[in-house]
Amino acid sequence: MTNTVQDIHMSNATQKKKWQAFLIKLGINQFDDQELDVIEQTIGIYDDDQLVATGSIAGNIIKYVGTCAIGEITKGARFNQLMTVLENRMALLGRFHQFVYTKPLYVQSFEHIGFKLLANSNEGALLEKGSPDVQDFLNTIPKAPQGVQKIGSVVVNANPFTVGHRYLIEKAASENNLVYVFVVNQDVSLFRTDERFELVKQGVKDLKNVVVVAGGDYIISYLTFPSYFITNTQQIINYQTTIDARIFKNIIASALAIQTRYVGSEPLSYTTYLYNQTLVRELKPEIKVIIVPRIAQYNQTEIISARKVRQAIADDDFETWSEIVPETTKNFISQHLAELQMRIRKGQKINGN
Amino acid sequence: MAMEEKLRRTMMFVPGNNPAMVKDAGIFGADSIMFDLEDAVSLSEKDAARYLVYEALQTVDYGRSELVVRINGLDTPFYRNDIKAMVKAGIDVIRLPKVETADMIRDLEGLVAEAEIEFGREIGTTHLMAAIESARGVVNANEIARSSERMIGIALSAEDYTTDMKTHRYPDGQELLYARNVILHAARAAGIAAFDTVFTDLNDEAGFKRETKLIHQLGFDGKSLINPRQIDMVNQVYQPLKKEIVTAQNVIAAIENAKQKGSGVISMNGQMVDRPVVLRAERVMRLAKANNLVDEEGNYIEK
Amino acid sequence: MEIKKTAIAGTLESSDVQIMLTQGTDGIVFDLVSDVVKQFDEAIKKTINQVLSEYDVQNVIVKVVDKGALDMVIKARTVAVVQRALDIVDEPKWEVL
Repeated sequence: MTNTVQDIHMSNATQKKKWQAFLIKLGINQFDDQELDVIEQTIGIYDDDQLVATGSIAGNIIKYVGTCAIGEITKGARFNQLMTVLENRMALLGRFHQFVYTKPLYVQSFEHIGFKLLANSNEGALLEKGSPDVQDFLNTIPKAPQGVQKIGSVVVNANPFTVGHRYLIEKAASENNLVYVFVVNQDVSLFRTDERFELVKQGVKDLKNVVVVAGGDYIISYLTFPSYFITNTQQIINYQTTIDARIFKNIIASALAIQTRYVGSEPLSYTTYLYNQTLVRELKPEIKVIIVPRIAQYNQTEIISARKVRQAIADDDFETWSEIVPETTKNFISQHLAELQMRIRKGQKINGN
Repeated sequence: MAMEEKLRRTMMFVPGNNPAMVKDAGIFGADSIMFDLEDAVSLSEKDAARYLVYEALQTVDYGRSELVVRINGLDTPFYRNDIKAMVKAGIDVIRLPKVETADMIRDLEGLVAEAEIEFGREIGTTHLMAAIESARGVVNANEIARSSERMIGIALSAEDYTTDMKTHRYPDGQELLYARNVILHAARAAGIAAFDTVFTDLNDEAGFKRETKLIHQLGFDGKSLINPRQIDMVNQVYQPLKKEIVTAQNVIAAIENAKQKGSGVISMNGQMVDRPVVLRAERVMRLAKANNLVDEEGNYIEK
Repeated sequence: MEIKKTAIAGTLESSDVQIMLTQGTDGIVFDLVSDVVKQFDEAIKKTINQVLSEYDVQNVIVKVVDKGALDMVIKARTVAVVQRALDIVDEPKWEVL
């Protein structure tokens, strides 16, 4: 047949330019470095020498999907051919779970080839296919026993776990029969994911009605909310937080019968402030959002934050960090201080979330 | 090699991992259908294509078409399992790509025979053909054509061959002249079929016709094709003239006559008719029937 | 037999079917998306179940995207995906064919 599949190399300026021009014609305009840098593979389908379809792979995400109706083959058939190639390429990399962001208009096309909608919004939709999927994720979380009335939730990055986190969770635990604490899974913080998770677990061990759960791909991740980890415009943050909030509301909270989400007030991080606003707007009426004012140490005016702990570690300021973390976190930092400081010297950013 | 000669004007390539094409391959009237497990299938899908073709051979009715499968080469990890699956499926012909020596065919023959025993298929019923795709293959074409009793034909594959010859394909085909003649002679000397290479530019109909006329003139049995649209064009070129049909009918009548008389000698117009003339007459009549130029009784249909 | 690794076979193109197998714990669980009418769902499952039983696969999650595949295509794709998932691509089970 005249349709051939070829790799497109971003390092080849001519190829990249043609590829961008093709996508721009289809209404795809965002080519920031942040978006392009994560691309591992890009393929093109050519009818003779003309580019007629393209898609890219970045981790588990399929990006920059575009097809046109030039030549003998219909647009739909070409789309299915393209997606087959992309999915098979990912299978060769051992990835059997795919996500795609697309315009609401194309949701059906993806559903026809086995994708399932995670969240939709005016600006875009997020879908997934393969396994393990969101159902598998939910299956790993212990369900509340029959008869449990009030179920609350808290989402923390806990980089690291502070007395502020403890205060928030304690409040939730005192107002509910069961509290799920989701720990952000993305491993890009000063404290590694396994360390953060362990510090949360140790820090709430005495609270018998608290279940600590890894947040997976579905709660504040590179997938749902990348701007939590990298700076972005307000418009993009609004879009991403909407998707994140809708997945939480429609899939996670509904499966776990969560009625309340507790968040700390956010006077420091603009991104998190916007996230809180979105949660308030999106989660109601099924889920109540309770914004808990952040606390300060008894003799200070500055509120407690994990960022302050990280800065103090960088500054080797034992006085400051040690008084705003619980005993468990304090022990961990003391034992690993040199290593943490080494990570910072090696370029680990400490001023984000 | 004493088997009945078949019409092999058109050998249509069908990508082995494409269900839509595999299932519909029988409806175009190709003399031979060649399911491709080699170049048309990506490395990661070799196993899947093998089972798709296997299942299709079990269930789809391909009419009278001869069924051929191009397996993966001797130096690939897919070679042995391709052979097993296709012998088990009862394929008519296995086509081995990139054949350079008679030993390669003998290696294949050994494995085919083993598979026939393993899967309870009658020994010797799986036929073979060789694709010649290099200078070395052309130089050894004679031996290759005679390498096995199972051989039914050899084919030129021009893309790899021209690369090997440090050239590429040209519209006039000069670069293939030697190879075509060598392969054709090897085939004729061994009493097997000769297949010409594919013509890949689907938009150049004039070029396709020109090439088909050339190989018909040279004496090839037929041509490998990549698109069903090409079948009719080849058949038209291979269509016999009315004059040829009339002569053939006279020869056939003379044979009948001799049979009725119980005579071992066939004569026509006072001349003895020898074997090549008989074979040619039979071939012309087969072509005439295949092109619907004669009716059931063999009468010429005026158009 | 136990599924050794997640595997996929087939395509999303017309007349084909894409099948993915993942290790399961709760029998044979289907997740089926089809272009053709629902009444063929059972026939598709039956063909896949047959192949799975020939390989003695008992616990597996089967995700299917059907694009109007004939029974023989479904069988061929199931054979391919099972052999990939059982990691026996190079030593196929011939008697199943």
